[in-house]
Amino acid sequence: MPADACSVTLAIGGLAHSKTKSERVDRADRNQDPTRGRMAGQERRIDDTMLIREAQRGSRAAFEELVRHYDQSVLRLALHLTGTEQDAQDVYQDAFLKAYKNIGSFRFECSFYTWIYRIVTNLCLDHLRKRSVRKEDAPVAKDSSGGEYDLLDQVPDGRAGANPERDLMRRQLGARISGALEKLTPRERMVFELKHYHGLKLRTVGEILQTTEETAKNTLFRATQKLRGALADMR
Amino acid sequence: MKCEWVRENIVLQVYSELADDARHELEQHVARCGDCAAELKAEQEFHALLAQDRAPDPTPNLVADSRMRLQEALETAKQGSVWSRLAFDPAIWLRQVRFSPALASAILILGFAGGVTTTYKFYGSRPTNVAEIQNPNVSAVPTEASITGISSIVQQPGTNQISIKYNTLSTQEAQGSLNDDKIQQLLLYAARNNYNTGVRVDSVDLLSKSTGDMQVREALMYTLQNDTNPGVRLKSLDALGNYVKNDTNVRDAVLRALVNDTNSGVRIEALRLIEPVKADGSVRGVLMALASKDQSTYIKSQARTLLAQLPEID
Repeated sequence: MPADACSVTLAIGGLAHSKTKSERVDRADRNQDPTRGRMAGQERRIDDTMLIREAQRGSRAAFEELVRHYDQSVLRLALHLTGTEQDAQDVYQDAFLKAYKNIGSFRFECSFYTWIYRIVTNLCLDHLRKRSVRKEDAPVAKDSSGGEYDLLDQVPDGRAGANPERDLMRRQLGARISGALEKLTPRERMVFELKHYHGLKLRTVGEILQTTEETAKNTLFRATQKLRGALADMR
Repeated sequence: MKCEWVRENIVLQVYSELADDARHELEQHVARCGDCAAELKAEQEFHALLAQDRAPDPTPNLVADSRMRLQEALETAKQGSVWSRLAFDPAIWLRQVRFSPALASAILILGFAGGVTTTYKFYGSRPTNVAEIQNPNVSAVPTEASITGISSIVQQPGTNQISIKYNTLSTQEAQGSLNDDKIQQLLLYAARNNYNTGVRVDSVDLLSKSTGDMQVREALMYTLQNDTNPGVRLKSLDALGNYVKNDTNVRDAVLRALVNDTNSGVRIEALRLIEPVKADGSVRGVLMALASKDQSTYIKSQARTLLAQLPEID
């Protein structure tokens, strides 16, 4: 598979629902000048390539630099999928340790982004499968000290003029959506997560999950149908 | 276009995943189909509802804590070596071969070449056949085509018996006198074709003892002109020395060596050999050329000396 086939259309860390003004402005600029975005992507890729080669030669510093390029996206994905900081940290640690141990076998057949996401999604799928067997309640999260809290409390609300009533509605909505997401199969959940919350193209989702774009499309269709059914009363 | 297709693709339309042509078709259909338009609107509303919920960003503390934990874990983690991966995970090998036709071809070719070489060595290293040739005119005389190489030539001390080891499909040994046809053939073959310089020197040395034979003389002229080793060429030159005077072919061969040989030792020896025939027209021409523009000052001066000794031509 050529390396380009695994390219990711979004810049790393460019999240699907960026809300801040600066991010919006940046994205608007990029839309106006697509060359700039492409060049930035190429620079990042060249940068990554050098770091990967260094890491393959045994440089831990280079690997840690690579980690810093991707770890916030990885942690965000793991946090939303697992629902607890503890589990998210476990997934994060397992994923990057696995990447470190196997970086020698990375052959640039796809982007490092796709590769690390493949590792993370596999670990998260394992986690989701175990959880679906255990039938745990998802929305309640635990912090690193073991205390429980509502995961939605973690969503920062930096909007000027935010009012408690609207905040409450938002939390209720979040809880309902989380409940509906729990009813999806792990694979449906993963496809929906990568598409809806992380804004990845379905082609990239297919590559990450090592399946075809067509299968990813079908899975997304099934997931949204189920979610619409589960949240029908909210519309 | 069927409504069913549209409803399956409405979600892709909402997520901007439809190809341009499919999007156009879908929009055209929705514009004239009320049910599908309602479905699209419902999907868009649902998408807007979901968009109000977003995945939380990890807190800076969580990121920092995760990085610290990872750094600690990396202290003790070791990268898997290439060899251990290959040794313990044959699936990697297989996958690599499956996706690399060039590598697969190379492995196949190497395997084939290895098999052929092993077979050849197996049969080639079987005990050497020593063919005692009592009568060299027997039909066992090898043809050149069946000889793959001469491995050694030994003259038994105090006799004119020569022992030659040569390879056909298996190594064989021929014994006989210098005058034996088979021995002569093998020596001629060795002089022209053998890859071993020592063997070529030995064969030329022995052939020089029977230079009366035209075949031998031709072989020596061939080695003088073509052998890559200057020692072999020098021996051939010495062997041909006695015939420079009477055999014009030999004289021409020596003159060619004098003009073209890359080794100055060979050229000086050639110059010495043609001295007795320096009055010959072709020799004189060569000497004049050498005297005027040879790169070697010694050869140039020697040529001038020889020319000076010649009588003036009116």
